[in-house]
Amino acid sequence: MPTETFSIEMNMTEIGPAAKGTNPKEVIVAIAPAFGKDMNKTIVGVDHISVLREILSGIEEQGAVPRVIRSMSTADLAFMGHGAAKLSGSGIAIGLQSRGTTVIHQRDLDPLSNFELFPQSPLITLETYRMIGRNAASYALGESPNPVPVVNDQMARPKYQAAAALLYLKECKSLVKNKKPMELKVEFSIKA
Amino acid sequence: MDKFLAGVDIGNSSTEVAIAKVQGTQLHFVSQYLVKTTGIKGTIDNVKGIRFALTEAAKKAEIHFHDIELIRLNDAVPVIGDLAMDLISETIITESSMIGHNPDTPGGAGLGIGTTILIDQLEKVEKSDKEFIVVVPNPFDYEIVAHLINRAMDQGTAITGAVVQKDDGVLIHNRLNKKIPIVDEVALIEKVPLSKLAAVEVALPGHVIRTLSNPYGLATVFDLDSDQTKQISLVAKALVGNRSAVVIRTPQGEVVERKIEAGKVFLKGSNNQQLSVSINDGAETLMQTYEKLESLIDVQGETGTNVGGMFNGLRQDLSLLTDQSPEEIKISDFLAVDAVIPTSISGSMAGELSMESGVALASMVKTDRIPVERVAAQLKKDTGIPVEVGGIEAEMAIRGALTTPGTGKPIVILDMGGGSTDAAMMTETGKLTSTHLAGAGDMVTMLINSELALENLELAEKIKKNPLGKVVSLFHMQLEDGTTLFSDTPFPPYTFGRVVIREEKELTPISSKASMEKIRDIRRSAKRRVFVTNALRSLKKILPTGNLKHISSVVMLGGSALDFEIPQMITEELGKYGIVAGFANIRGSEGPRNAVATGLVLSSIHKEVLR
Repeated sequence: MPTETFSIEMNMTEIGPAAKGTNPKEVIVAIAPAFGKDMNKTIVGVDHISVLREILSGIEEQGAVPRVIRSMSTADLAFMGHGAAKLSGSGIAIGLQSRGTTVIHQRDLDPLSNFELFPQSPLITLETYRMIGRNAASYALGESPNPVPVVNDQMARPKYQAAAALLYLKECKSLVKNKKPMELKVEFSIKA
Repeated sequence: MDKFLAGVDIGNSSTEVAIAKVQGTQLHFVSQYLVKTTGIKGTIDNVKGIRFALTEAAKKAEIHFHDIELIRLNDAVPVIGDLAMDLISETIITESSMIGHNPDTPGGAGLGIGTTILIDQLEKVEKSDKEFIVVVPNPFDYEIVAHLINRAMDQGTAITGAVVQKDDGVLIHNRLNKKIPIVDEVALIEKVPLSKLAAVEVALPGHVIRTLSNPYGLATVFDLDSDQTKQISLVAKALVGNRSAVVIRTPQGEVVERKIEAGKVFLKGSNNQQLSVSINDGAETLMQTYEKLESLIDVQGETGTNVGGMFNGLRQDLSLLTDQSPEEIKISDFLAVDAVIPTSISGSMAGELSMESGVALASMVKTDRIPVERVAAQLKKDTGIPVEVGGIEAEMAIRGALTTPGTGKPIVILDMGGGSTDAAMMTETGKLTSTHLAGAGDMVTMLINSELALENLELAEKIKKNPLGKVVSLFHMQLEDGTTLFSDTPFPPYTFGRVVIREEKELTPISSKASMEKIRDIRRSAKRRVFVTNALRSLKKILPTGNLKHISSVVMLGGSALDFEIPQMITEELGKYGIVAGFANIRGSEGPRNAVATGLVLSSIHKEVLR
């Protein structure tokens, strides 16, 4: 066990409208309007910092280059993911809603199609987020990863549906009509 | 009113029917159909499949089922085959001493040698010129690990490499001020002994490690004498071809390759001949010994060994199928094929695989007779149509084969089915010789299934039957012959970046890490090992002279002759003996299918073989 205690902090700054990427190794993570800002936890109370960090770690570990943008005009998962894929240098992007729902998208697909969808947000663990990042990076690098194993729980729907709807409504309050996605600079630092 | 005749051929894996209209001595084939054989060939269960096939064929011919006046059934050859497979070698690590695995993404590159130490012990290290390899178990976050290593290095502690449990290699590497090789995804890291001398090697992407996979490299690293080097050479062997590896020297640690006592095979021949072969000598030696026998009467495996178990299992299966006691079962033919089976090493730390050798066996049993009469009686009862059991299967097959344009007597046929490979020859005077050998399509499926570790026979069957491709983008894929295929419509998203099986209408992704080339090699070698071997074996058997140069042409029949590459392989191989080989085209339209069913119908009109 660590003999000293460390904590990890995230610093997120908006640096202007997101441009189309040119790096073929790039994977974009498109976060929803309220992610890490007006909202800071997923539907099961997992810190947004940890969620985003795991996804970014997964992308980096696999050898791709992560970039984060914030979707401003839509909070719809499919359109966030697909819109970001069109901006991504590799054509691969991850869409991430504040409640935790996630998708891996590719620019040549129809918006409502996808590579991998993780619809049951209450069941996604931090390890799964890491694997999602890793798989997205693998697709970007032209490899063929096995799809991330997904847990299915019939009770998740009745138990969380109302909460999920409310969280989506809350997310939609942060929408800014017709505003282009914003480029974000995300930095993690270690505090001893 | 026109008369209709039906021929029915029950095979090991498929049942084929043909319906023909009779006008005087003229025959017109009106339709044919093929279904999967229901139940075991020659049992009453077959009737269900036959009735279904007849109904469908009648529908296709636009006649009523009851318009058929006579059903002719083949006198199914009383041979039944079965398959078995087992390992004959095994690698065991008796003491944790090596990690040689291929995590997707190890960090850094190079070779590091040092003493293993737990990450949180680093700061307690006293100043010395000792070098360390850091061991990082799960609870440590990569950011913290990098911070600790950087700090220790700044304070003057020499760190030459790291072994990490999580998939964090690249993440840690990216955050280090001084780069070191890092092996990650070591699942059982608690087994890594601490305070022992260890070496970590990581190669650049696309390269393989060179020092730790070389026995003398290991000897240099660990300062070993020649005896110790000999002992450690198995470690080196197991690490060949990896991108990263860790070797830790423990005084007692050793890796042994254990040859499983796979046992002996006893071959009994005519004239009281008896030969024995150790299965460890491999399939080739076994088959060579088999050839020394004049004719095979039975095969026994040494009891209490793997091969004994295999043959006993076969006997059990076959005795259940034929209603005979296991002692009565006599194996009349078998085909042994070497196989390479990926197996996880017992005692390994990161789920390492080693390619162990194994033997696959197909065997064939003569039963007293297959109760075709029972099937015929049941069929007659169910349909109300007279049923007749036709002539010898080989003769019917030849009659059917002779409807291929360009053929004539004398003729040699090679019938490659799912369960057996059969060959028959008819001389100009109508003299017939035939043989039935174990091993055909099903054995190829079994080999593909185990060599690719698929554990999915259906998928293996698909791999066997179709060519491969790799989907590069949603709009283009690379084919196995190196050409590129472009598509106007996007491929389905689940195929992106994957090796796919290109079926006629569908693409099935293969969720194996094996490359397209590897899968193709395994597929082709499995087919070659079974079909080319059996083609030569069966032809030698039916020739009175046993010399392949004495025949000029061979007509290939059966489901496996439909395969997209087996006929070419056999044509190529037989070409070496100056034999023209090609697949049949029954009635000029059916390809290599439906030969026996066609022959059955023909034989009821013309007693003589035509042409």
